[in-house]
Amino acid sequence: MTQTITIDPVTRLEGHGKITIHLNAQGEVEDAQFHVTQVRGFEKFSEGRPFYEMPSLTARVCGICPVSHLLASAKACEAIMSVRIPHTAAQLRRMLNLAQMVQSHALSFFHLSSPDLLLGMESDPAQRHIFGVAAARPELGRAGIALRRFGQHIIELLGTKRIHTGWVVPGGVTEPLSSAKRDEILAMIPEAYVNLGLALEAYKQIADQFQQEILVFANFPSNYLGLINEDESIEFTDGALRLIGPSGNVIEDGITAQQFTEKFGEAVEPYSYTKFVYYKPLGYPEGSYRVGPLARLNIVKTTGTPKADKELAEFKQFAGGPVESSFFYHHARLVEVMHGIEKIEQILADPKILDKHVRATAGVNRLEGAGQIEAPRGTLNHYYKVDDNGKILWANLVVATGHNNKAMNRGVLQAAKCYVKEGKFTEGALNRVEAVIRTFDPCLSCSTHAFGQMPLQMTLMSADGEVVDTLTR
Amino acid sequence: MTFSARCLILACGNALREDDGIGPFLAQWAEQRWRDDARVRVLCDHQWTPEMVEDVAQAESVIFVDCATDCEPGQVRTMAVEPATDATKLGTHHLDAGQLLASSKELYGETPHSSLLLTIGAGSLEMREGFSEAVRAALPKAQRLLEESVRRLLG
Repeated sequence: MTQTITIDPVTRLEGHGKITIHLNAQGEVEDAQFHVTQVRGFEKFSEGRPFYEMPSLTARVCGICPVSHLLASAKACEAIMSVRIPHTAAQLRRMLNLAQMVQSHALSFFHLSSPDLLLGMESDPAQRHIFGVAAARPELGRAGIALRRFGQHIIELLGTKRIHTGWVVPGGVTEPLSSAKRDEILAMIPEAYVNLGLALEAYKQIADQFQQEILVFANFPSNYLGLINEDESIEFTDGALRLIGPSGNVIEDGITAQQFTEKFGEAVEPYSYTKFVYYKPLGYPEGSYRVGPLARLNIVKTTGTPKADKELAEFKQFAGGPVESSFFYHHARLVEVMHGIEKIEQILADPKILDKHVRATAGVNRLEGAGQIEAPRGTLNHYYKVDDNGKILWANLVVATGHNNKAMNRGVLQAAKCYVKEGKFTEGALNRVEAVIRTFDPCLSCSTHAFGQMPLQMTLMSADGEVVDTLTR
Repeated sequence: MTFSARCLILACGNALREDDGIGPFLAQWAEQRWRDDARVRVLCDHQWTPEMVEDVAQAESVIFVDCATDCEPGQVRTMAVEPATDATKLGTHHLDAGQLLASSKELYGETPHSSLLLTIGAGSLEMREGFSEAVRAALPKAQRLLEESVRRLLG
């Protein structure tokens, strides 16, 4: 008799998801699936809206990384307008994106994952949360709060509010940076380094205790995708995409936002509202890959900043080629936060950073446009088609969680096979299966943009676990 | 960064969900009312999040402002808040007033000497702007109670 174990909801994620584990007659794990069970529909209801409303509209997809959607959307709009934004606006946007990356990574590391890492996967679930961490390691709790606040405060200073700022517009930004705000941000930087130092130290002290998790947390060869600069340094806001293979070989380089749709497809599976993105020349699922911090560090040669480069060198020592275990997403996030703080410091030293010319204007000059950036969780692409008046005819948002979807499912199966034995499982075992998903830090709110008919499967099971009926639409 | 204030008004709510917008409305009113008074600091967001713990810890007193669904529409209440002891309902994205106080104590070793929760009973939480009739009628009383509470906390 087959059995199904359901973890619902999966906790400490951005959004709501469900995991189903299927056991065979011997009680061994046969299959496992990660379901994204919420649906949004932004692509559909944005049809008919003026294209210049898209940054503000799509930013509402998410309260954690609205800046990512703002920026990708603004860039898609600028492709429609055929404008190049002023240098200062580009630098300010870059700083905004890095600030968001810092606050989002702080949330992921301290608030969502540190309970597992610092208190242990088997620790009392009633205490395994951020306040449990605060009780056990108050200095880390304070560091987490302060680091998140560092990023959020920069976003607030630049955009007047922390969430859903309207400061980024097609053509640039609405307001230049004042010297007072620049000095306020500069004054926060030393404390940010100290807080990050605490996190890195704590992580490195405990990482060795997770050898088993490192082995089975989505630890397999795969492709990796991310933005990169021409000098092979890490990039979050501009640059072009690079896809590498399992051995680190470059499969394709220099993929622009406009080329994205031609190169990448979106597969649909019956158990999730989130699509499965793949590289078309390799087909599905072979063309699946990973994005986000692990992928970004795997595809680059340098971060372009000294302190982060030192951390990157240490990180790359975990493997001869790409680092494969998704457990190392945690470490990669901290390396990226280091880069973010350094890069913000560098941007503020730009002699033109207080320049008043921060916006270019134009109307509709092309009937379609795409924009891509690196969100904290990975590559984000917006693609719009408009009519002659600039009304949206069609929109598609390809988000990080869609890129990572296949790898997350493979990771859940790999961990389930290790920790669920003879049809039996402990709370700690189930927590580890969830923790695999948390390594990717997926944003489920962003990810639910299936087009066409929604993939929905309902399974009716009898009390003894037998499948009685299945409804698919 | 330091955010100390004699009295922190910490509101939450969503102005696009009808009576849930009472927090943002009273926060905006308070910002104007105490615009020139450095002793009063006003913060408002869609929800209370963990990073607000630092603001709470640094305040001498705090007034939490929110709508309530466990009372009659338009009913205005103030009550003392104690640090929460039940950790089973902790969220990572949002906290209630008692949890913010508990975390303040846990992380920073201190809590404001006085903590009040001011709520107005919600009549409707539909997806639109504005307030239900019951809440609209209760606004003057809510403003008066907030004013009195701030005055009392400032001594």
